[in-house]
Amino acid sequence: MHTEVSGSQRTARVAAIKGFGVGALVVGLIALMAVAAIRETAKPKPQAAANPEATRSERPAVTAEEETYARALWTIHAQVKQDAVKMTFAGLAYKMGDIKKEAVRQRVAPLSPMFDSAAAALSKLKPPPSMSGLHAEYLQAIRLYHDASVIMVKIAEDDRDTHLVEAQVMSEKASGLTLKVGETLWPGEFKPN
Amino acid sequence: MKNSLKTAMIAAGLAASALAAPVAQAADVCSVWLVENSRFMGVPFGAFMPDRAFVPGSTNKSNNINTVDLPVNVGVIKCGNELMLYDAGWNQTDYHKATGTDHWSPLSKQIAQLGFDAKDVKKIIVGHGHWDHAGSLDEFPNAVLYIQKEELRGIEWALNYPHPRISAVNDSPGGCARTPACGYPSKTMDSIYGKVLKGKAVIVDGEAEVIPGVKIHPAFRAHTAGSQLLEVPTAIGKLVFGSDAYSSWEGIRDWNIANPQQTDTVQQFLAYEQCYKITGGYQNCVCAHEPLSYTDGYPLTKNSWVGMNGGRLAEVTLAPGEKSRKK
Repeated sequence: MHTEVSGSQRTARVAAIKGFGVGALVVGLIALMAVAAIRETAKPKPQAAANPEATRSERPAVTAEEETYARALWTIHAQVKQDAVKMTFAGLAYKMGDIKKEAVRQRVAPLSPMFDSAAAALSKLKPPPSMSGLHAEYLQAIRLYHDASVIMVKIAEDDRDTHLVEAQVMSEKASGLTLKVGETLWPGEFKPN
Repeated sequence: MKNSLKTAMIAAGLAASALAAPVAQAADVCSVWLVENSRFMGVPFGAFMPDRAFVPGSTNKSNNINTVDLPVNVGVIKCGNELMLYDAGWNQTDYHKATGTDHWSPLSKQIAQLGFDAKDVKKIIVGHGHWDHAGSLDEFPNAVLYIQKEELRGIEWALNYPHPRISAVNDSPGGCARTPACGYPSKTMDSIYGKVLKGKAVIVDGEAEVIPGVKIHPAFRAHTAGSQLLEVPTAIGKLVFGSDAYSSWEGIRDWNIANPQQTDTVQQFLAYEQCYKITGGYQNCVCAHEPLSYTDGYPLTKNSWVGMNGGRLAEVTLAPGEKSRKK
């Protein structure tokens, strides 16, 4: 069947086809944009959270008194950390068979007075009220280290590993406390390694 | 009669324990996933890779990126029924948040997203003993730790060095970076020691085979004194995990050093070469802190998704018959 079409009808039909085409193009573009938006939001990008300022909470500035305290504690902290790790390594060396129990005593016994000295030095510091809690926790940590060192040397007397286990638990607790203080006073004390 | 009964009981006991003991399985090929334990945000690129230091106004693509976010990648490896980790991330607590990090979750919960129970992890091979690689050992009570004797020896040597700048665990507040004992807080060392005390540690001396086909290769001084690599057979060829012996995949690709902490850069290049030799190139070298991880830019890790707290995961390769754990 053949149908005659007038000129005006043909023009109207062409306009309709054009309109449909433009509409389809617009719809297509919108769909493309939507897909792109979904992909962008769904796919993780390495720099997605690259603005560190946006992800870090602001730390209030320390007062002069707090800074003085933090500086004084750092000197004590540096030595305590080192002595604590030395104590751990005495136990490790013993368990690896590198040293005898007597050597554990020789290595660890001198650390007890070191922790005593650290506690004495810490007690002389006057923490600002805002840091009195941290101060007390740090003192607790040093005492734990001290007590761990006293228990640890008992291995030389009776060969019982339970002394090492007991001391390790105390030492690990103390280490948590020193990390806590470090996190507050010297944020980023341990950088990405 | 008494003696023969005793012998029989011992024999029966040995037989029973042999049946109960987990048998080390030959690893035809293993399945591997990667978990992003956290991200160190906004690290100056030059601090991570000196050859990529930012030059303001530069159009050179090697020097036009100011800061990068460094993932802390942990390998999850399943060979038959043997589940192991390469590296152990770190443990963020209310007292240790490591300022400038994001997307952290407990590693045990992160591997639970893959359907694994922390109790089933039988081995943890740490690339080295730094706090962000050996910091979650306590979450895996049944896992045996593998660490190099040279790593422990290196720390102890540093601690006892007479010059205080060398022996310092940190050299200044907020400045732990290059001293040889830096990066080993007493908490991490106590965790390692705890594993040793519990009889859950193997102190490795050089090369070792964890299970047949899964091999430890020493990479001493490639990042720390006793760094070690792990070779794993997979369906896509051998993978070699490098931890920080090769922190950056772009670094190993372009022969740029990365993350030079206690690093002998020549030894780091030799670790790169080791991966090239074992895998036949750089594509299968698994890096701990590559900024392009979990994108197409680091093809090995591109099959990725986002998990809890924004931390990402990647399904690297599956052994035949292993189901996909991608969510």
